[in-house]
Order: sequence, then structure tokens, then C-alpha cells
Amino acid sequence: MFTKAKFASGLASAMIFLAGAAFAQQDPGVQSANRGTGATIINPSNDPNGFTAFFEDGQTRFAAVEDVSALPNNGLGPRFNSNSCISCHAQPASGGSGAAVNPQFEFASNGVASGNTTPSFITANGPTREARFPFFFNSNGSVNTSAPNGGVEDLFTVSGRTDRGTCTSLAQPNFTAAENAGNIIFRIPTPTFGAGLVENLDDSTLLTNQQANLKNSFGISGTFNHNGNDGTITRFGWKAQNKSLHIFTGEAYNVEMGISNLLFQQDRPLPEEELATGLPASCLNLTGTGYPEDASNPNATPNAAVLDDVSAFANFMRFLAPPPPGPVVLNGATVPAATIAAGKAIFSSIGCATCHNPSPGNTQVSNLVPALSKQPVPAYSDFEIHHMGNGFADNVSQGGAGGDQFRTAPLWGLGQRIFLDHDGRDLNLNAAIQNHGSPGSEASAVITNYDNLNSTQKQELLDFLRSL
Amino acid sequence: MSDVPAAATGLKLVDFLGEANMHCRLIYLLAACALAAPLTVRAQAAGQQNSAKNGVNGSSDTQPMTKVPKGVILVKGAWSSASDSVTPLPEDGNVTNNVFDDRYFGITWALPPDWTEKYKGPPPSDSGRYVLAEIATAETFKGPARGSILITADDMFFTPFPAANSAEFIDYTKDNLQADYKIERSPKQISIAGRPFTYFAYWSPSAELHWYILATQIRCHTVEVVLSSSNTKLLDALMQELNRITFSANESLTGEEAVPVCIKDYSRDENVIARVDPVFSERRFNAIPIRIIIDKAGKVKHIHFLSAFPEQAKAITDALGQWRFRPYLRNGEPVEVETGILFGYTPRPTISVAQDPEHK
Repeated sequence: MFTKAKFASGLASAMIFLAGAAFAQQDPGVQSANRGTGATIINPSNDPNGFTAFFEDGQTRFAAVEDVSALPNNGLGPRFNSNSCISCHAQPASGGSGAAVNPQFEFASNGVASGNTTPSFITANGPTREARFPFFFNSNGSVNTSAPNGGVEDLFTVSGRTDRGTCTSLAQPNFTAAENAGNIIFRIPTPTFGAGLVENLDDSTLLTNQQANLKNSFGISGTFNHNGNDGTITRFGWKAQNKSLHIFTGEAYNVEMGISNLLFQQDRPLPEEELATGLPASCLNLTGTGYPEDASNPNATPNAAVLDDVSAFANFMRFLAPPPPGPVVLNGATVPAATIAAGKAIFSSIGCATCHNPSPGNTQVSNLVPALSKQPVPAYSDFEIHHMGNGFADNVSQGGAGGDQFRTAPLWGLGQRIFLDHDGRDLNLNAAIQNHGSPGSEASAVITNYDNLNSTQKQELLDFLRSL
Repeated sequence: MSDVPAAATGLKLVDFLGEANMHCRLIYLLAACALAAPLTVRAQAAGQQNSAKNGVNGSSDTQPMTKVPKGVILVKGAWSSASDSVTPLPEDGNVTNNVFDDRYFGITWALPPDWTEKYKGPPPSDSGRYVLAEIATAETFKGPARGSILITADDMFFTPFPAANSAEFIDYTKDNLQADYKIERSPKQISIAGRPFTYFAYWSPSAELHWYILATQIRCHTVEVVLSSSNTKLLDALMQELNRITFSANESLTGEEAVPVCIKDYSRDENVIARVDPVFSERRFNAIPIRIIIDKAGKVKHIHFLSAFPEQAKAITDALGQWRFRPYLRNGEPVEVETGILFGYTPRPTISVAQDPEHK
């Protein structure tokens, strides 16, 4: 059917072609209109347990800036990537992914990480990042590929800060050497909208959905990552390595901000320090209060204030609503709804939805809030891990996921995401789609299908993706 | 084999050859593997091979690298491997000089001009799915539309689909086609290059793409050739090209051309004279599908791990070296048998048609 929308899109494409653009189709780009992302999923009028107050309390703590020793928010470091949750999870609202302006770029000059050198891969308008070294280095500085590392190498230390206490000479990892050796990979923050729905998916639902996904003619067959202790399906993180929001949060608080907590009770050394003698004694207990630095507060009021930060953060993310879809503006004009619908059908037909399932199923009954009970999860993910080939491989193993396996990234909220892929390498949807195809990738046949579309169809697909 | 340093396998194999050959079988190991007749010796070889493929063998004497090669998967999770390097594997399909060749399935196909292999496929899955080749129109192609050819295989020993053969496999696919597609041709039996195929076609009105599915059964696998394009004339022409395929794997042959008889569940109790369970050193939660070839004397001659962690492959290899099977007789004579065994985590249940959920 030849629609007006297709005509308009085709006209725009033709104009772009005449202008010499490389692609006939165009990523509409990050959608700036307020879609209401960042609201709670809880209906205040149907919140029998009173979790709305816990969401709001968690939201406040999520934005708190942490210091090393000064109250009320202390425990930062001795190693860290940032000093607040929201600094990394900001786009398009609190709880999201990295913002257009990377706060890490200013840390060396604004006092957050005084005395530190800003790594070359941290730029003013680049992705907010964490870094990992896939392999350990030998003592002579060479890379030992028989010794896998893969742990986070925190970017900064507290040693140049005024509140560093006795921790005066803790060095940053040698990122320059790692870059020169090609022994460094990056990860960007995962958005957490709708995370409570994901957490509340029963394993049986995911397994049933996995069977449905297998019925494809694209050669795709994923698997799940599992919790090493009880063997159940894990689902959070770029490799689906974490089981729950509590674990996810507790680990992040410890790894990204250096704050020990009820789940991770020690200050975290770098992986190479852990194999040696750990953190120096001069850099331990910098708050002077002992461990864990984040603990519950039995005497506090109101109820929500009793919780430790990790529990509060987890509640905030658990009760964040899924990011609402919204209209798409391309070159100043709103894309017709029919075009978005056509793009959605194409997305499914060419096989994108084989992994990026519009919903893997409904949640189990929730004991927390009705809004999490028996709800669809429009995440556009199967929460399986898939081989993504040489193009995406980062040589980091987490749980059962190997160096080229990644969780199907949920696409809800994609319309307002700036940095794409696990490491933020792409800003453009076209590039991100093409990067799904590489030797060894399960997605390659689907990308070939994408290549077999005409420009109008590709444009419709891109428009649809930015509606999410 | 034991005199090949782990360091050498870990570096030379994985770092520099790994991308070219997913199974990482060293040329310089080939002769040694071929000579290593006892399975226990081959098992050690397999262990080293697997460690090397994982790039993580725990060896302390590995020569240091100055730079990590880009675009090479060194740290692998559960992956495919084999107990020897001479027995053909399904995933060894390759396109060389524009000819697709898969020795395991005995398929040789000189591709049409201006069609080229686009990417190597992923490793076999733990549900027994292979991507044998991904072929697409080259930049030099002058035809009316672009197209693609995907050659896959599903191991009928491990598929969760309720299908006993390739025809049922296609029927199941057709019956569970998602709503976006429209059936163009219901499954029917045809002959391609003298071999029976099930032919089935559907298309997407939204994407305006057509898919022709052609499936045949080889060595207890459903081998599918999936042709796709927006142009049906292109696909019809490709259908004709398929007649140039030669098939050489034939279970009914004897002598050097023979391939083992494939029998599902041959490892059931009445056929196993001696069995030793593998002892895993690490608790994991993955399914470990393997195919074995049992020789005429009832010993395990070859093990192919579709998906296993290296230490799992080592433990299973050690155990299977102690298994003894009742030889399979055909016309009163013992013949080699190929069968499948599923180790590891509780396998995913086979889909029953009645309970099959609608694809979302």
C-alpha cells in the first residue's frame, strides 16, 4: 500500500540522497519531548502496602551526592567511577542511562576526583563509562591471555580529595597501557525503567518464551545466564549476570561508588589488588565508622528511612514505570502513527523480535504492589544471552556468559537513549543495527534481512524504534 | 599430545587461528591426534584443545602477549569442541572459492556467481541448532533485488520441537508461523538434486520479503536452506541453482563412503554394557548436548560437544572412554552408530503441540 507517509518519507529520502548523504534512511535521533519517563508504576490510590513512600525515598537517595567521610552521605571510595547514582543514570530521567554531558569528564577539575588524570576515553560529550581489563597483565606489563580478568577498573581514586583522610597515594589503573595493549573494554549504564516488572518474571515464563523464540528461520537460539548458587535465571546487567535488583544495586554501590553495604561488606580493591594484598590499610575505613558504610537505620523515621541505601535504591528502580512510548519527530515533522505501525510490523517480520520480544510474558503475582502483578513486560527483550560475534565480543565472562554473549538489550525507552550498544560506541541506530552483524553473531541473518529492505521500509523501522 | 604445551595451544591457536576456524583445530596437532588411538589419549588432547579454545587454561607458563588481537573471541563460555581433529563436524561448513562445502553433511554447492559468504555463523546452540553458512548477494550482484541464503541444521536428537523428521519439523514451523507472515506455499515434497526435500514458502506483507524454506534430513538433522528476497523470480532462480548441490553422506553405503547409522537414544540402558558417569568439578547450569560415534566393537570412537565448558568436556571424555555399547548390527554385521546424549543441567522440555504457547 502506498501511503502518504511512505510518500513523505520517500520524498525526504530523495532529498537526502540529492544532498549526498550516505544513507537514504535516517535515524530520527533522540526524541526530546517529555514522555513522562521516570514516574512510578505504583498507582497511589491502589498501594495497600504504602510503597509509594519507599519509591520517593529511594528516588531522593538515588540523587544524593556521596563524599568520603562527611555526613550525611559518606563512604565514597577509595576507588570509584562516580559519586551518585543519578550521575550515570540520568537520561532522560532519574533511573535512566548516561546523559549527553558526561559528568566524569569534570571530576578531575571540580574536586570530585582531584589529582586524578581523566582517562582519554572519558570525554565531555561521550558516554558515561566504566572500564574493564579483559585480561590481567604480567609483571613486565605484557598481557597474559591465559589469565582472564574482566572486573571493573575504577576510573578514579579519592587520594587527591580534601576528605581523603589517610588515603593519600592510591594510584589509578594504568589505562594508557591498557589502551595501548588493546586490553580494555567499556560498559555504559543500563537504564532501569520497568526493572520491577523484569524482576517479577517467573523463570517458567521465560523458559516458555524461549521455546517460542526457537521457532524461527534465522538460525537464532539463545540460552539463559544462571545464578551460580541456586541455578535460577539471572536477568540484570549487560550479560544478565545479576539475579535481583538488590544484588544489582548492592554490587553497583560497591563497585561504582566504592561504598560497602549489607550485600558487599568490604571496600573493593581492583581485581589486580585483590590478587595481591588488597587495598592498602591507609585507604580502609575512611569514614571512621566501620563497615558496612551503608547500613539500615533502626531508629529512623518514617518507615522508609529505616532502610539502608541499597534497599532504597532497589525500591526506587523496582517501582519505576516502564518508559512510555511516544511520538517521533523527524526533521521537524511528527512521524504518522501508520508509519510507526508499519515499522513495528517490519521489526517483527525480519526477525528483530525473535530476540527483542515485545513482551516475554506476564509477571507473576506481586506481594508488593498490584501494579507489578500479572502485567505484560513490554521490554523488547527475551532476557536470554546470545552470541553476538566478533563485533561485540568483549572477552569478559560473567556467570555462564562467555566473551561474546550478551543479554538481549531491552529496547523500551530506546527513543530517548543517546548512547547505544553495551559500550556506547554508536549514536546512530543505523550503525547500531549494522553492528549486530559480524562473524559468529546470531543476529547476522536478521541484519541481512534488514539489508534486503528498501529505504522506505528501513526508515519505518527506525521511526518505530525511536517511538519506544 | 601431552607434550604440546598448553601455552602454545592457548596462544597460537586461539589468538591467530581462532577466528578463521571456530573449532580451533591445529594443523600441527592433526597428525598427533590421528595417531592417538586410545580414547584416553585423545581425551587429553581434547582437554588441551578445549582449554586453548577458551583462551583460559590456567597455565602459568604462557608466553605474554604485547597486544590483545581485535575482533577475536578469546574468552569463550560453553562452546563446541571435539575429541579429535579429523572427524568432520557439522559446523565445519565453509565457503571456499565460492563453493560451500560441509564434509559432515556431505554437501557441496558451487554458489551462483555474485553470491558470497557474508559471515561465519555462531557456534552450535545447546538446543542443537547450527548456522552452517550465511550467504548473500555480493556488491557486484546486478540482479533485480538483494537476497540471502541461510543454511542451518537442527539436531533431531536435541530439538525441543515435537518433530521426528524434517517433514514434521517443517510442518511444526508452518503451524506456528507468527501472525506477521502469510503462507505462500504449504509444505510439499519435492526433489532437489535427487534428494527428497520438504518445500514451504511464506512472505511478509509488511517487509515485502519472501522466504523459501527447503528442508531435508541428513544424519538425523533437519538441514534447511532458507532463501530470502523481495523478488520471487530471484528465489525461483535460486531454487534451480539448488539442483547443482551434490550430496554424498549416505547411511546406506558401505566402505569408505559410509557414514555412521544415526539412532536416537541408542545410549539407553539395554544397549550400554558398561557406563561411568562423568564427575564435574564445577557446578554449572547448562545443557551439554553431545554426539558420539560408537565403533563396531562398541567403544566410543568420537565425541562432538555441541556446547560445553572445557572442564565439562574433559570430564565427559574421561567417562565415555569407559563406556561400552552393544554393537549395532545391520544385516548381521556390526556397523558404526552415531547417537546423542544430553548431559548437564535439566534439559528444556520438548514442546508438546497442545501446550505450545502462541509466539508473542
